[in-house]
Amino acid sequence: MLARLTQTKPLHWLGQQLLNRDNPAAWLDPLAETINPMWVQEHTPVRVEQIIQETADTRTFVLAPASRWQGFEAGQHVNICVEINGVRHTRTFSLSSSPELWRRQGQITLTIKRLPGGLVTNWLHDNLSPGQTFALGAAFGEFLIPRPARPVLFIAGGSGITPILSQLETMADSNYPQPVTLLYFVRSQNDVIARARLEALASRYSQLSLRIISADESKEPRFLSASDLDAVPALTHRDVFLCGPKGLMDLASQLLAGKNVAPDRIHSTFFAPPTPVVLDGDALGGQVRFTHSQVEAGSEGDANLLEIAEAAGLKPQYGCRMGICHQCSCRKTSGTVVNRLTGKVSGPGEESVQLCVSVPRGPVTLDV
Amino acid sequence: MKQLTDAQLNNLQKDLDAIRDEVVADLGERDARYIRKIIRLHRALEVGGRVMMPFGFIPPVFIAATASLGIAKILENMEIGHNVMHGQYDWMNDPALNSQTYEWDTVCTSTSWRRTHNYEHHTYTNIIGKDRDYGYAVLRLSDDVKWHPGHLLQFVNYILLTVLFQWGVGVHELESEKLRRGQLRWRDKLPFLKEFVQKGGRQAFKDYVFFPLLTLPVAPIVLAGNVGANLIRNIWASTVIFCGHFTQDAETFTEEECEGESKGHWYLRQLTGSSNFTGGKWLHILSGHLSYQVEHHVFPDLPAHRYPEISGKVQAVCKKYDIPYNTGTFAKQYGTVLGRIARFSLPDSVRTRLENRRQLQAI
Repeated sequence: MLARLTQTKPLHWLGQQLLNRDNPAAWLDPLAETINPMWVQEHTPVRVEQIIQETADTRTFVLAPASRWQGFEAGQHVNICVEINGVRHTRTFSLSSSPELWRRQGQITLTIKRLPGGLVTNWLHDNLSPGQTFALGAAFGEFLIPRPARPVLFIAGGSGITPILSQLETMADSNYPQPVTLLYFVRSQNDVIARARLEALASRYSQLSLRIISADESKEPRFLSASDLDAVPALTHRDVFLCGPKGLMDLASQLLAGKNVAPDRIHSTFFAPPTPVVLDGDALGGQVRFTHSQVEAGSEGDANLLEIAEAAGLKPQYGCRMGICHQCSCRKTSGTVVNRLTGKVSGPGEESVQLCVSVPRGPVTLDV
Repeated sequence: MKQLTDAQLNNLQKDLDAIRDEVVADLGERDARYIRKIIRLHRALEVGGRVMMPFGFIPPVFIAATASLGIAKILENMEIGHNVMHGQYDWMNDPALNSQTYEWDTVCTSTSWRRTHNYEHHTYTNIIGKDRDYGYAVLRLSDDVKWHPGHLLQFVNYILLTVLFQWGVGVHELESEKLRRGQLRWRDKLPFLKEFVQKGGRQAFKDYVFFPLLTLPVAPIVLAGNVGANLIRNIWASTVIFCGHFTQDAETFTEEECEGESKGHWYLRQLTGSSNFTGGKWLHILSGHLSYQVEHHVFPDLPAHRYPEISGKVQAVCKKYDIPYNTGTFAKQYGTVLGRIARFSLPDSVRTRLENRRQLQAI
């Protein structure tokens, strides 16, 4: 209610004047959250409803976002923000439930695997319990069900199944009229996430053919093979969706190319940080001027702007530190930067850059 | 100024850096909880003050409402705004507590404050001619400035500055003294003036137009209360800040002695140019822990509520190098500030004669 009220333009403007902030509705958050954490206006709060143990190291968190959350499409991801020992951390996860669950019951699910040594995933597993709240961002991502409907092949590995669960559920609900095949690679049969859900889907939705392949089936680790693809009818007519560890994604791209699947039919999403492209170290680095803080710092090699700023004693905002969440985006006023993920070279002029994946090439000026 | 060798300055830097590193390594939940608790208190006091104010036709309610709003402004300016803008809580990665985006409840824009205070004052602390906070270009507080008859009236200027403190701080960056001397042109200051008018207008609109009009039948009472709350904040903030650098024994420096200075020398200057005052927990909180001005100047970006905890260590370092650690009760320190303002309003000949007589009497 409050959110809707403060979204009216004149009131929002007035609030900005009275409270000296861009988001006046959040001014009362510190008091509001002590009464009900779901009243927080600064971000969209989400409450943990239930936690389901999927495998030894994977849990599904059933969450109820505040009703003002904008919703999502099957296959999209969200940023979540949690505070660990006083520090806010942002991470991106795929939504594993269907949008229908959100529409009908106001719930979503995130299926999260413990990352060995990972700060946030382990914290979520060890500390979250029903009733707790944290921050949820808007959904984003282009890993979407083809429209109009075309035959689909999903190739998933490990916890890469999560966005596909959302898509399969949605396809089953709408009775997607084209054949759908899922090749799901896991380390062992114990690592199958949401097995019951997948089997129930396969039995109620006749278009779906489900194959779960575990690497430990044979003596030699069992990976995706050309014959797996040969077994998929009308492969070249399918849209292919890849989600899994880098090894699987690379192997799949290679095999699909060999089977003449057009590259524009292949959609990939990463559930692990995308690996940086190899940058030519010699040409990189340069003097970085942080105009706002009146600090200047030099860099060599492939140090990114966030690392350079932090080394110079600055503390710009950041989130995922891997180019996903845009928390660290800021204005570059001049200079050329190279995107660490894509290898793409920026223009020399003013634009918004993500500090955590931008590597200076020559002198750069930032409005930080 | 206390003279130390380069080697001693180096060691001084290492000793102080070690204190800092220890705190930085320990930053976490406790600090986050502390600042959020203060923010909750601020919100409660501000809401309480604003809600009570229209009922200010009952005298005790008027006093409670004005005090509540005044203390809210003090907390917001000193323990929250000033400290957040120093980057004390940037490590939390909370956009609401980010030093570069925080905007505080006073006339001075945060951008201007970060330039004049965080950069100029904290870098060139007490260097006459470089630190424009030393006397705010209005007061003569040392014999580095040549006396002229106008200074006889500087006590009046001091009272005016204190009463209108938020406006004084707001126009500080205008550098009116340089405009007067023709070193700057008005047109150079247009961007600043635009921001000043915008923020000053916004603040005046809020306290002197919007809230009084919102409660029209009792508008004069609300206006009076809001003026009172701003006045309480102005006087308190000015007093605390004056106690930080203008006490009897707080030293001043020349540009020459600071040219190309080392980090160790900068530390030494912060230690000898600042002064603390003692008091209870709430006196420290209400002063934004600027009662630990020495610790604040040595470590401006450590969360201020940590200063009392590290004060013992800083004093031990001072003792080790025989550097004076300037502290005393609030009354004593403020007394020496008033004394300084009064003494330097006099011509040097009169002042030295008085000072000599005082010294003789003391003997």
